[in-house]
Amino acid sequence: MRKKLNRLDFEFKADKAKDFPADFVHYGVVGSGDMEIIIEKKPLDGAIRVTVLTPVSGFDEVWRRVLYRFVKETHIGNASIEINDCNATPVVGSLRLRQALAEIS
Amino acid sequence: MDKLIGKGRAAIGMVVDPESFREGVIGDLIITDKDFGPGAVIGTAALGNETCTIIAIDAMKTNRKFRVVYAGIIGLEEAYKMALAVYHSIEADKDNGPGEKRPLVLIVDTPGNAPGKLEEIFGMNKATGAYQLALAEARKAGHPIIALVIGRAISGAFLCHGLQADRILALGPKFGTLVHVMPLTSIARITRLDLEWLQELAKENPVFAAGPDFFYRLGGIEELIDRIEDMRGRVIAHIAEVRSIKARGGYEELGPSGRGALGAKRGGRRMRSEVMETMNKEFAAVADRYLI
Amino acid sequence: MSGKWNMLQSQSFLECNGRQRAFGLLDEGTLTELAGPRDRLSSPHLPVLGEAIQFDDGIVTGVGLIGKKPVFIASQEGRFVGGAVGEVSGAKIVNVVRLAREAFDRMVSARADLPEEKRPAVVISFDTGGVRLHEANAGLLAHSELMDQFQDCKGKVPIVSLIGGRVGCFGGMGFVAAAADVVIMSQNGRLGLTGPEVIEEEMGKDEFDASDRALVYRTTGGKHRYIMGDCNLLVADSIKAFRTALIEVLALPYGRMDGFRRIGSLEKVRYQLKLVDLCVKLAPKDSRDVWKYAGNENPTAVTDMSLETFLSTVRRLQVE
Repeated sequence: MRKKLNRLDFEFKADKAKDFPADFVHYGVVGSGDMEIIIEKKPLDGAIRVTVLTPVSGFDEVWRRVLYRFVKETHIGNASIEINDCNATPVVGSLRLRQALAEIS
Repeated sequence: MDKLIGKGRAAIGMVVDPESFREGVIGDLIITDKDFGPGAVIGTAALGNETCTIIAIDAMKTNRKFRVVYAGIIGLEEAYKMALAVYHSIEADKDNGPGEKRPLVLIVDTPGNAPGKLEEIFGMNKATGAYQLALAEARKAGHPIIALVIGRAISGAFLCHGLQADRILALGPKFGTLVHVMPLTSIARITRLDLEWLQELAKENPVFAAGPDFFYRLGGIEELIDRIEDMRGRVIAHIAEVRSIKARGGYEELGPSGRGALGAKRGGRRMRSEVMETMNKEFAAVADRYLI
Repeated sequence: MSGKWNMLQSQSFLECNGRQRAFGLLDEGTLTELAGPRDRLSSPHLPVLGEAIQFDDGIVTGVGLIGKKPVFIASQEGRFVGGAVGEVSGAKIVNVVRLAREAFDRMVSARADLPEEKRPAVVISFDTGGVRLHEANAGLLAHSELMDQFQDCKGKVPIVSLIGGRVGCFGGMGFVAAAADVVIMSQNGRLGLTGPEVIEEEMGKDEFDASDRALVYRTTGGKHRYIMGDCNLLVADSIKAFRTALIEVLALPYGRMDGFRRIGSLEKVRYQLKLVDLCVKLAPKDSRDVWKYAGNENPTAVTDMSLETFLSTVRRLQVE
């Protein structure tokens, strides 16, 4: 088959966004069915910008839902999120996002 | 046109001074057992009147003791035999100054390291590694090492028989020479990527394509040779060049790291230098914390 | 942070990822990553083929301390493209070894009587199938550079191979690991050149069934390598066990390294040739035949033995 590494870009703004409390966080391994995340502080007027690189296509809406829910529930703001995905399910994706946040402590 | 695949012994004759090759003798090493690593041909010859060590592959031989060793495959015996050739070359010239170390000429035509059960039990990884370490030691002691690809130069076998040389020369693709890790068909199968697509991409991207010309672009081969008659002259010329570069201490410009820089220059391996520079800068910033 | 490092010590080395291993092997809080994920030096070739990338290209490289000793570490991530080596990850390992040797040169020129405890060292945790096919040629060339750097370290900087991951250490990295001074493995680790599937392809399933896990481990696993003398220390599957062995080995003066090596000199090659002669004479059908020859009366029991029993009772192969 011919594959393509797709780039998806999103931007969200949570209600009562709280500034991302660290400079930089990295979490995860790009194993099969998994993903890694970088969250980096960035002045975006309270917003969150996300870039996902994924070899899977057609799941933009699924990503949007997962990411939106994450931003909404954590109120995270003023940060960029970069994800290298290798076919992670939404469940794994949500988990990794939370684990990345938990790295800051 | 004449191809030299499978003709390692004939190739020796085309490179060295006429009638000068003495097989099985290097310094005080004498190997008479014809069944010991028969595919590896080692010995001493004269090259432009100076003594040189020859290490070649005779792809016509079969090792009867090891089932998977035939058609130029480098097995346990072959790899250690070639390592012996190198160590005895070093030993023979150990009292000579660095400018007077005999050259080693590697004549390369091998499809791989031996993929067998016995080999895994007894450690083919050690054998192929041993030959590489010996070559690296000889190279750094001053011996000019030139590899000449006359046929197949594949994967781990090329890593041990070829890629540690100061300079690598290859007959051009029209001679059927093959330089690769594995054929695109196998890469396609294992990575499950479309073969036709890989073939298309390979035209422009030297990174996984097979062929001496791609390796040339990656800085994996210093020179492509167009005519068989030119082999001898080019080997002799490169030996002289390598000697003078070593005489002024330019070891970094030769061998694997020299080819690394060549890759950057020729555009085939660009990230390599960026990665190394980044690491060097980052280390410099914290070195005082560690090197006290 | 402190809790995290302590917790890592008791974790399974097999289950930990490459970064956890690097972090836990070195003294707490001393690791500085070089070309880490923050630099985002990922593979330029994988995206062309539509493959996922990783910010550190599948290997953690950096410098840390064990006591006063600067330790230059490379720890492969076996879960990313099977730990296979590409242009970037290859350049990272090559350069971390070079940095170690340059550090030694620098320290020695500042101070000729450099104490052993401060001599820099190289530690590589292998978890790889070898060359990354997607970047085949670049990966191949990196291996040759690495062997060249290893030779440059001779007489200067000890190199220790650690093998305890799921992928094991195969392909070109199989000879790189063997070219180190010391090899430390766990029973889970495997060290070889050609992977089991390729052996099966070449020899047929009757001769070698790649799906026979026990066979695969008898042929290339830690216990077998220990009996053969290819592995110097066999340790339990925990970060702490690997770290303890590493500390023990790095505490030795450099002159002791030759006793651990299996290749790298004429003398060693001559010894290996005796093993090859034995192979021809013995014509073993299975590693167990070699284990028996080495003096292990009940080779079948060897596989199931606990590590403690194994280490205290096993006979290792010696050839005169």
